[in-house]
Amino acid sequence: MSAARRLTSTPDRMVGAGLVLVALFAPLIFSEYWISTLLTQMLILGTAAASLIFLSAYGGMVSLAQVAIYGVAGFALGNLTTTGNTKGLNLGWAELPALPVAIGIAVVVALVFGALASRSFGIYFLMITLVFSVIANLFFGQVTKVSGFGGISGIPIPDVISRTAHPERLYFVTLAVALVLYALLRYVARTPFGLTLQGIRDDPVRMSSLGYNVSLHRTLAFGFAGFVAAVAGVLFVWWNAQIAPSTIGLSATIDVLVIAVIGGLFRLEGAWLGALVFVILNNYAQDVSFIGDRFHTLIGVVFLVIVLVSPNGLIGLWERAIAGRRRSEEDVADERRPTELSAAG
Amino acid sequence: MRAARGVGSRPAWLAASLAVAALAAAGCGSSDNSSSSSSKKDSKTTKTASGTPAPASSYPDPQPAVKPRSGGSKSPIKLAIMSECQGAFGSFDNQNMAGAVSALSQFAGAKPKNPNKPKDGFTGGAIGGHPIKLVGVGCGDDTSATVIKETRRLMEQLGADVMVGPLSGDESIAVANYAKQHPDKTFVDGSAGAQDTTLKVQAPNFFRFNGDGAQWNAGLGDIAYNQLGWKKAAVISDDYSFGWTSTAGFIADFCAAGGQITKRVFPPLNTTDYSSFAQQLPSDVDGTFVAVGGAGLIPFLKAYEQAKGPIDSKKFVGNLFWGTPGQFEQLGPRVSGAYIGGAGTAGDLDTPAAKDYANNIIGKWFKTIPPGGDAAPQASSTFTYGYYVNTWGLIKGLEAVKGDLSGGQKKLQAALAKTTLPAPYGEIKLDDNRQAITDVFVQQLYMKDGKLAVKTVAKIPEVDQTFGGTFSASTPAPGRKFPGCEKRSLPWLGKSQPVKVVG
Repeated sequence: MSAARRLTSTPDRMVGAGLVLVALFAPLIFSEYWISTLLTQMLILGTAAASLIFLSAYGGMVSLAQVAIYGVAGFALGNLTTTGNTKGLNLGWAELPALPVAIGIAVVVALVFGALASRSFGIYFLMITLVFSVIANLFFGQVTKVSGFGGISGIPIPDVISRTAHPERLYFVTLAVALVLYALLRYVARTPFGLTLQGIRDDPVRMSSLGYNVSLHRTLAFGFAGFVAAVAGVLFVWWNAQIAPSTIGLSATIDVLVIAVIGGLFRLEGAWLGALVFVILNNYAQDVSFIGDRFHTLIGVVFLVIVLVSPNGLIGLWERAIAGRRRSEEDVADERRPTELSAAG
Repeated sequence: MRAARGVGSRPAWLAASLAVAALAAAGCGSSDNSSSSSSKKDSKTTKTASGTPAPASSYPDPQPAVKPRSGGSKSPIKLAIMSECQGAFGSFDNQNMAGAVSALSQFAGAKPKNPNKPKDGFTGGAIGGHPIKLVGVGCGDDTSATVIKETRRLMEQLGADVMVGPLSGDESIAVANYAKQHPDKTFVDGSAGAQDTTLKVQAPNFFRFNGDGAQWNAGLGDIAYNQLGWKKAAVISDDYSFGWTSTAGFIADFCAAGGQITKRVFPPLNTTDYSSFAQQLPSDVDGTFVAVGGAGLIPFLKAYEQAKGPIDSKKFVGNLFWGTPGQFEQLGPRVSGAYIGGAGTAGDLDTPAAKDYANNIIGKWFKTIPPGGDAAPQASSTFTYGYYVNTWGLIKGLEAVKGDLSGGQKKLQAALAKTTLPAPYGEIKLDDNRQAITDVFVQQLYMKDGKLAVKTVAKIPEVDQTFGGTFSASTPAPGRKFPGCEKRSLPWLGKSQPVKVVG
């Protein structure tokens, strides 16, 4: 059994380590546009999708509110740090103190959302989080004191990651953040809290009768995933220097869900894999003449194909390949065993 | 790390709801090509709208086309055009491209690839021996997030040196901010009319040869106060930046002339039921300025009729949405006689340059502009015209430096700042913020052959962005409360000129 486990984990780890190496040396391999735009965007969207996958895989909660929380952090940072030439409160704070405050606001909002949604399951949970997403979009679109339809532009970016002076630094910051959050999500899933969450996912009634506070655990998980989404929101604002209600509209909400499903809703790594596919298709599809402006149609088709062919997403295909290899190894072992036994006998 | 139990064993609702979500996503991206954009005009008869028209000498002469040319072996000028193919303005994609490609054909020796489909781009074209290469056309959807993504693709992936566009206000603020971060590239606007783009952002490498939303309404307040006799007025506007900016132009003008604004009502964008907002409008005012746009205008007028009784067109002034070709016809006879603001264009102007622009420039390089049909009548669309003048401005700037983009394009940017255009509807020059100072036109709705039509009635000369100091970099951006109502001197107050129009 342990040998079989090693077989599955070894290719995972080898590929994972290889990909991290490629990511670290990406500036030597890819063009500046790929680094500062496509791969940075992939890491940000992947981090947002990872928060969704965490909730789905370990908590059984498919949330459509992650983009809303990402937006709350982005708008909070925008309001805190701009200095008068754009919409919003223009509080003019420095970036460093604004950062934890923006993330803190988003986490509080996530906890409130989570508390409200924590007693809902399945399709009802999906719908209530969709409502949160719509509320956030309309709130920032219509409360003109904090944004308005046009959004906040010209948001200051810390000098150390300024794209003009250092086009690659934001990429490395985003990569480091993604790796840390990935490790954190994995760690939390293995803690007693994470194990309890998985128990609640599998059988909330039984967990409740065992004395666990199901709603509280689900709320806290939502708040934690909200933290991950909020960090992605801050990175997005630093990457894009502006944020508008359209950034967190229904289309963006669906985009992150599509990323998570394409990558695979049951493994965290799927988030970044799905984001990579999404970003590349989004960027290059319009150069193909018969696709042109129909990117959403294309991604919809890709989505449907993935759902039909591999419900566990691209990472599911990988799992299947590994499982196939493991089976064939075990078959070989099984075939050998009687021979070995008879030889021994 | 694999979770203990995969999603594969989840109930079927998940797959079903995700599939529905995917279809919704696919639906979100479909482009809207349903609205028409033709502005028909009849050029057989000539008449004077009122008073003595402005002398012909105050209008520029027609601009002849240069010979076709394709440049030599010098390094190409890599051009990107940021157009719009999705969202509310997606159907104007070909108008944008028609404006840009016509300017390149007329002044840089290019040739449209397809006279019936401007979106196909152009061949040839050169400036100072440098061939012009169109590296890409961006597809915006009137959101700032998409325009930044597309601008990055055009400038960073495809390596464009200069860009024309975008189309709409919030997009242009985002692009101007992007321009600030990329000082060695040069940007000219497409047709966007947000005030902040130039007044607040002040990117040294972003140039705009068209007016902003407030400029387009210059002169309307003067007419309301001095011709319609309004002393007190209310305003109602979509609650977002373009609505505020458009309304700000009217308020600044009306109050400068001596009027008072007693009520400001701001329904959220995309409101469908305007009854509560119509109720908020006071009855004890002399008139109402309406900057409700798009699909909301007719529901608003109906709600107003239900709340306050029949509409008296002399008690209403509208902004450019009241004259948007393909849409204003549906307003019906109820608003015949109302004055409206334009978008810096006057398709019915009876001047050689205006007629030449429609028939010998847009109408020469293109036969049709889909989906609106014949090309020439669409020349006066704010989108065709905006992309035309901005591309022309860029060409003139490039000509001044003989296509030389060296030195971080600083020479080009300096030349552009000094560029003036003898444009079809009046000369355009730039102020210190690289924003157009331009003539704008007041129009009026009237009944023609039983149908609502638009005619240009007055020219407001040399309108600048600041409205005599009402707006500046240090004042708040137009909003629910700004600008206030102040009597002040505007350079153009009392100087509106009657115009000669055809039709």
